[in-house]
Amino acid sequence: MKTKMKRQIHAGDVIFEIFLILFLVIFVFVTLYPLINTLAISFNDGFDTVTHRIHFIPHQFTTDNYKAVFAKEGYRIGAVNTVARTVFGTLISLAVNAVLAFVISRKRFLFKKSFSLFWVITMYVNGGLIPTFIVFQKLHLTNNFLVYIIPGAASAFNMLVIRNYMNGIPDSLEESAQIDGAGYFKIFYSIISPLCKPVYATIALFVAVYQWNSWFDAMLYNKMKDNLTVLQYELMKQLETAMKSAGSVEGLKNSGTSITPTSIRAAATICTMVPILFIYPFLQRYFVTGLTIGGVKE
Amino acid sequence: MATNSVNIEELKPHKKVKFWAEAKRQPFLLISSALLLLYGIIFYYLPVVGWLTAFQDYKPAKGLLDQQWVGFDKFVKLFENETFFLAFRNTLCMGVINLVFHFITAIGFALLLNEVRIFIVKKFVQTISYMPHFLSWIIVTAIVRDVLSADGIVNEFLMKICGNPQAIDFFAEKAYFWWIVAFTNVWKETGWNAIIYLAAITAIDPCLYEAADMDGASRFQKMRYITLPSLRPTIMILLLINIGNVLNAGFELQYILGNDVISDVSKILDVFILDWGISQFDFSLGTAAGIFKSVIALILVCTGNFIAKKTGDERLF
Amino acid sequence: MKKTKIAAVMLASLMSLSAMAGCNKTPAATTTTGAGGETTAATDAPKQIKEFSAFFAVPAPSEINKDNEIQKIIAEKIGAKCNETWLTGQKEAEAVGVFIASGEYPDFINGGNAMTSLYEAGALVAWDDYIDKYPNIKEFFSDYEWSQFRQSDGKIYWMNPFENIYGDDKTTVQNGEAFWIQARVLEWAQYPKIETLDEYFDVLEKYNAANPTTHDGKKNIPYTMLCEGWRYFCIENAPQFLDGYPNDGSVIVDVNTKKIVDYNTIPTAKRYFKKLNEEYAKGVIDTQAFTQTYEEYISKLSTGVVLGMCDQWWDFSQINDIFKTQGTEQYGYNYIPLGLTIDKGIENQWYTSGGTLNVSSGIAITKSCKDIDGAFKFIDDLLSQEIHDLRFWGVKDVDYKVDDNGLFYRTEDMRKQVADPTYKAKHICNYSYFPQWSGTSRDGKNAMMPTEQPSEFKQSLPEPVKKVFEAYKVDTYVQLLGSVNKAGVWYPMYSYSNNMKTDTKGGTAWNKMGECKHKWLPKVVMSKNFDKTWDEYMKAYAACKPEDFLAEMQVELDKRIAAYEAASKK
Repeated sequence: MKTKMKRQIHAGDVIFEIFLILFLVIFVFVTLYPLINTLAISFNDGFDTVTHRIHFIPHQFTTDNYKAVFAKEGYRIGAVNTVARTVFGTLISLAVNAVLAFVISRKRFLFKKSFSLFWVITMYVNGGLIPTFIVFQKLHLTNNFLVYIIPGAASAFNMLVIRNYMNGIPDSLEESAQIDGAGYFKIFYSIISPLCKPVYATIALFVAVYQWNSWFDAMLYNKMKDNLTVLQYELMKQLETAMKSAGSVEGLKNSGTSITPTSIRAAATICTMVPILFIYPFLQRYFVTGLTIGGVKE
Repeated sequence: MATNSVNIEELKPHKKVKFWAEAKRQPFLLISSALLLLYGIIFYYLPVVGWLTAFQDYKPAKGLLDQQWVGFDKFVKLFENETFFLAFRNTLCMGVINLVFHFITAIGFALLLNEVRIFIVKKFVQTISYMPHFLSWIIVTAIVRDVLSADGIVNEFLMKICGNPQAIDFFAEKAYFWWIVAFTNVWKETGWNAIIYLAAITAIDPCLYEAADMDGASRFQKMRYITLPSLRPTIMILLLINIGNVLNAGFELQYILGNDVISDVSKILDVFILDWGISQFDFSLGTAAGIFKSVIALILVCTGNFIAKKTGDERLF
Repeated sequence: MKKTKIAAVMLASLMSLSAMAGCNKTPAATTTTGAGGETTAATDAPKQIKEFSAFFAVPAPSEINKDNEIQKIIAEKIGAKCNETWLTGQKEAEAVGVFIASGEYPDFINGGNAMTSLYEAGALVAWDDYIDKYPNIKEFFSDYEWSQFRQSDGKIYWMNPFENIYGDDKTTVQNGEAFWIQARVLEWAQYPKIETLDEYFDVLEKYNAANPTTHDGKKNIPYTMLCEGWRYFCIENAPQFLDGYPNDGSVIVDVNTKKIVDYNTIPTAKRYFKKLNEEYAKGVIDTQAFTQTYEEYISKLSTGVVLGMCDQWWDFSQINDIFKTQGTEQYGYNYIPLGLTIDKGIENQWYTSGGTLNVSSGIAITKSCKDIDGAFKFIDDLLSQEIHDLRFWGVKDVDYKVDDNGLFYRTEDMRKQVADPTYKAKHICNYSYFPQWSGTSRDGKNAMMPTEQPSEFKQSLPEPVKKVFEAYKVDTYVQLLGSVNKAGVWYPMYSYSNNMKTDTKGGTAWNKMGECKHKWLPKVVMSKNFDKTWDEYMKAYAACKPEDFLAEMQVELDKRIAAYEAASKK
């Protein structure tokens, strides 16, 4: 606190400040404009959107687009499953990746290098859709809720991010604990993990968002099981029905639409975004500077 | 600082004796790694048996080993197709451009955001910054088309303020396409990608800044000489990871924004695989292309890792 | 404290996960009797209702609710229902490939263009022993039509559910392709006879010179073309029609010599693209034609600025609803089909009567189905008049009314109601990919489909279109085209080329030709030197080896003709 008083005022700092403000303003506008525009379109009459340009506010207000998005039930089951997979998937994945990262980041771990390589490779190879499906089928993961949680639980990317953070923690902490007779498990949960909160929060956020937005696994593995559907899959179905972006000539002939693709897409977008936005504030406190390991640094 | 201690570790005098002694000291590490190894084999390596299909004329009706073997025919078919090389070039170029932009913008944004001192503003900007990440690509492409259309906001701006005589048709000009893709990626992912860096910044020892203040460093200097170097390990890790992903340059953007006029620059590998593999029920060709992509990725990653080793930087393995 | 928290969280999550797994197994075990198999309804239901599953490798035309009202009524009447799953976020080949590889199928499947793969995988049940037992199914096709579905082992495995006409043809709309022109242009030109491409563009240009804008001052676009993805038929296949041939889609069949002709290289093709090239140079054609997406195209049309285009009705017909709700119908923005030919005096076949039989895909019953007879009975029941009316007209007095003469009609409120997506999902159950009739109902009076009921059709016509009909003295869109030809026995040839894959030489050529046309047609139209670009295009086109493709088509054509002759001898 006292240091603030001592700080000199640099000419560069003023320019920097101006630049920063300018940057933020442009940044916020460029990022926000399309989103506000989408919000406005989602509350605007579909046919009206076609003929009038919408900028910031709806021209002909309606909630029909949202009604159309939610016209089909299935959202209720989907919401329950999505919340379940987000909660459990995030917890499991965080636990698994933390252990994995911990193991790999131990300097004395006997298979450190080969085990790292083993996981790095998984990021760049995949067997393809059909072989993966067959493996999951043999494991009875198809038509099963667990397919949302188990296959993605350990991920090399998340592990590497955590490992990278753990590498920054001084070895002296581990060494002194070992001298006190602590085993690796104790070091993991009582010394390293508390220091890793910011990175755990980051990974939790990543996984939660991934889980929330996933629908491909529901489509692929649980297609024929209505009670295992997820929210995004239901939204996706509505979206495709509305857009009929590809497919057969005959299908198109057999339905009339009154809501336009643009409007239903906008509504679906807002529905996807809003709930996940609420997660972030809970995690954000871990991102505050100052929660630091500096105190123990030599 | 990390590298110094590693050197001491690597002095291994009596290998065998030391191995068992060490093993006894780390039961937790060994057991959990064994479990994770099993997990990795089942979920990541077992499906890779599917690579065999690239050497077969794969028909899903038959088992993996009952297929007709065709050797390298599918790879030949792949490399004989002119479109494949075009798609490869486009994918690589867009991948590299995206990679460079990804790093510059995410790090730059994280550094600048870190300089914002009013907490509310910081929180507000950050919350906004990652919002586009939640939009699906289908939606983002629609937004891009809308913004860049003849009566879109960009042309409106260019015509009214910059005095362009007529609207630019951004999607009819080959020169623009890669940059449109790059900018769209920046718009969608910058805030999100910055999260990792912001988390890493929290680990920086505040003493360093205090010491710099004492020495009378400007804010820019602190950014340049403290924050950025502290981020180096994080940057290296992410760079190494993403180098392997340059051939995954996206799909929807190119698929939907591309059109017949600019297909020479817009067609990418994944679209090629769709047209010539999957849509034709030729899963083997798709697998062959997938193997090609994986091999390139692994070469790039290993090279990167090797260089990192030489320069003493953080490595993947 | 912190450490216990983390451990507790991990433990709790593991426990709840296993609990989840437990929870999930229970309902799955009680409601299903096997993957893809049939399930039985709850025991307290008054009647045992069979439940079938179906997968359609197409995006859903519309999704219905689980407790859909008409589905329930039908289930009670026939003792069976079917849960439909549609293609989402995947290509049909992928979805079908996964089913085949896993060996688990739903009871019913429509694999789109991947039907042959299902057949080759031995996934489907042969129909031959069942067709005779189910009169409504048998009645759906003539013996010759059924024979066209026979696969290489001589058996029938699926039926196409669409475009089949019962009794009198009630077709009102030209559902297929045409050059379309806005009613306002025809009115201004005082309803001239437009027969050729030259006359068509002439009228468009003259109208645009005299009336350059729409009612609200937007600049007209005299002509646009949609070229996106598979929809590029809007630009590429017009030459076949201009030469007076029907929509065989991928080739022309010479009626006299029974030989396959490539419409991409005939003189008419060059003349057609030269015309487009000239019009493009004049600024008559939309400069964004080649870069627009389908969505942009539709919004462009729905503002009323586009005077004309070549397209198929179903591809753009939703804009009629937009004109209606926006109240812009009165300005004559609706489109009128024209049966153009390249020169005068050629009889056109833009419309062909008698429906179109696409044998390449349809609905099939799989080996995973536990109750094959039940599945056939389900299809049979859906085709009975009572259920068919329920599917497409809805519930009497709720969705339609019957007048003194026994004719069905809808009130304005009913029309609005059945167009509402929420109501549709809750109430209407088309079973839209199961077999269905158009044409005349078995009562001899009504149309099978509400859209073809004359009273419903007339009611929906905008004033300017009515005027056009009066001026040309016609009652339907189809009559505007001026010809009612029946296509050859081989029609449509696209039912073969749709299924071609790169595993044959012809299929590889077909895929390459598509790529080549996508790349070159825009260049040809925009070229400053048409003849030179055309020659380059033809060179690139020849390099794709179209002869391989044409040879395979010729074999198929000969096969079809032989099959017809064999069937008619019987």
